[in-house]
Amino acid sequence: MHSVGRSFHNLWTVFRVEFTLFFVSPIVYFVGGVWLLFFGVFFLISLAAFNQGYEPTMAYMLNTMAFLVMFIVPALTMRLVAEEVRQGTHELLLTAPVRDWEVIVGKWLAVWGVMTVFILVSFVYPLFLILRGNPDLGLMASGYLVFWLWNGAVLAVGVLASSLTQYQLVAFIVGEGISLLLFLANALSSSSLIKSELVNNVLSALTLSSHQTSMLDRGLIDPVDITYFVGLMAVFLFLATQMLGTRRWRA
Amino acid sequence: MIQVEGLTKYYGPFKAIDSLSFHADAGEIVGFLGPNGAGKTTTMRILTGYMPPSEGRATIAGFDVFEQSLQARERIGYLPETVPLYKELTVWQYVDYMAALRGMRNPNRAERVDEVLDRVEMLDRADSMISSLSKGMRQRVGLAQAIVHRPDVLILDEPTIGLDPRQVREVRELVREVGQERTVLLSTHILSEVSQLCSRILIINKGQIVAEDSPATLASRLQGTTRLSVRVGKATPKEVAKAIRGIEGIDEVIPTDEGVEVISSSQADPRSAISATIVQKSWELLEIHSVDMSLEDIFLQLTTDETMDEEEDQDA
Ligand SMILES: Nc1ncnc2c1ncn2[C@@H]1O[C@H](COP(=O)(O)OP(=O)(O)OP(=O)(O)O)[C@@H](O)[C@H]1O
Ligand SMILES: [Mg+2]
Repeated sequence: MHSVGRSFHNLWTVFRVEFTLFFVSPIVYFVGGVWLLFFGVFFLISLAAFNQGYEPTMAYMLNTMAFLVMFIVPALTMRLVAEEVRQGTHELLLTAPVRDWEVIVGKWLAVWGVMTVFILVSFVYPLFLILRGNPDLGLMASGYLVFWLWNGAVLAVGVLASSLTQYQLVAFIVGEGISLLLFLANALSSSSLIKSELVNNVLSALTLSSHQTSMLDRGLIDPVDITYFVGLMAVFLFLATQMLGTRRWRA
Repeated sequence: MIQVEGLTKYYGPFKAIDSLSFHADAGEIVGFLGPNGAGKTTTMRILTGYMPPSEGRATIAGFDVFEQSLQARERIGYLPETVPLYKELTVWQYVDYMAALRGMRNPNRAERVDEVLDRVEMLDRADSMISSLSKGMRQRVGLAQAIVHRPDVLILDEPTIGLDPRQVREVRELVREVGQERTVLLSTHILSEVSQLCSRILIINKGQIVAEDSPATLASRLQGTTRLSVRVGKATPKEVAKAIRGIEGIDEVIPTDEGVEVISSSQADPRSAISATIVQKSWELLEIHSVDMSLEDIFLQLTTDETMDEEEDQDA
């Protein structure tokens, strides 16, 4: 009845409208502006370093940006579900013949699409390195891949945060909080606050840096790391779908 | 098309609807009538798959609205009570989005969006931002999204609210047209609307159906009933009520501020007996005339009697 083709149609339908909606709201331009500003600063810093004869590498910039996206990205996702609930438009989505997960994933793909546009803009930087120096292209590609996947995961966290509440500000703060935990979980384990080795291992397995370093610094693409990012996305999108579903009971 | 059996919904401990049962067939326009808080919106939200019932079941074209929700939703067009609109989309984008969500594909979809916007007289505003529309226009856009995919079942929660008289007529025309082959369930407070449009009326009060019939039958239920308004000088309404209460053929006497209201369902006209009694008491008969009972009266009678009964129960 509900075929794969229909799911694609529904995902595309939600994606298309959400993507359009991003560019009519001022937030995306604001976020884009902040993004470019930070980006410009790193560019200048790296340029100075490069002129002093350092290796042309992306690791420093991508690592810092991975930290910054946690503060930028929830501004894009906070609206996605919360505003539907506040405006009552979720009643249309929940009574249309689409599945809850198609709505959530469609929205997430749209915001990831927007983020991808931002990332593409930042390709000016590697382009500069390629023109001026002789960088390791593989390292560059794997660095960008891990950064892109991390963005997808943080966006999934943001979508979940947005589905918890009808207040955008709450969604923003919760989204930041959860991603920060992912970023800093190993700080807890290294703090010797927690004695259990098992808990420490789990915490560090959940932490971003355990999965980004090899791709960023050594250009190694390990299936375990890819699974980490895909797993994060799947888990948070699943939870967001469940939360959207509870609106039927919380009505 | 719509089949509802023993539908019950609790909000927490509060029972909003109480084992509703009814059905609506293809080619039927069914009116849902009831005072504020009767449970109309709640029932519609269950039928459209927005929320599950607490007990009982409902089917749309044979598909359970909860168990086979997608198939049921596939066949429904729904205009919620507060029209949900994406204010940052244009009218055209919005209706196109809703059509796509209901599974319509291009190129047919684009054509159909134009057609339906023309039908609700919004085609000239197709490229306007929804945020710039007036309330009535928004209502019409809401209606457009409900019918765009030609649903088998159309569920409209107070569709003519906020429309100007000409648009009200247009919308009723449209509902009548859709209702020729499909099933329409609409809720309203406007009694003339249901009597003009609907083949069947469900009067719902406090979550229960208190009457279900065609407008004509409902009206004729009161045909045998006459209501008299009596005004008398030199006596208080209470005294008058006491004096005429015993007269044969009188069912009920209600003292009002100005006089008394008499309800009678017998064939014999009690008017002469009433005036004789009043003359005998040497009071002055100022006025006695019969009041037409309308759908409005049925509605008020059915929905207020209930309340009074309950209050008496509580007193006892
Ligand atoms: N989300 C909710 N939570 C708790 N109670 C609710 C909720 N929605 C409705 N109710 C209650 O259920 C009852 C029925 O409400 P409903 O909205 O179905 O009435 P209605 O017939 O549509 O009224 P109206 O004519 O005012 O639109 C009311 O007493 C209302 O207070
Ligand atoms: Mg209502």
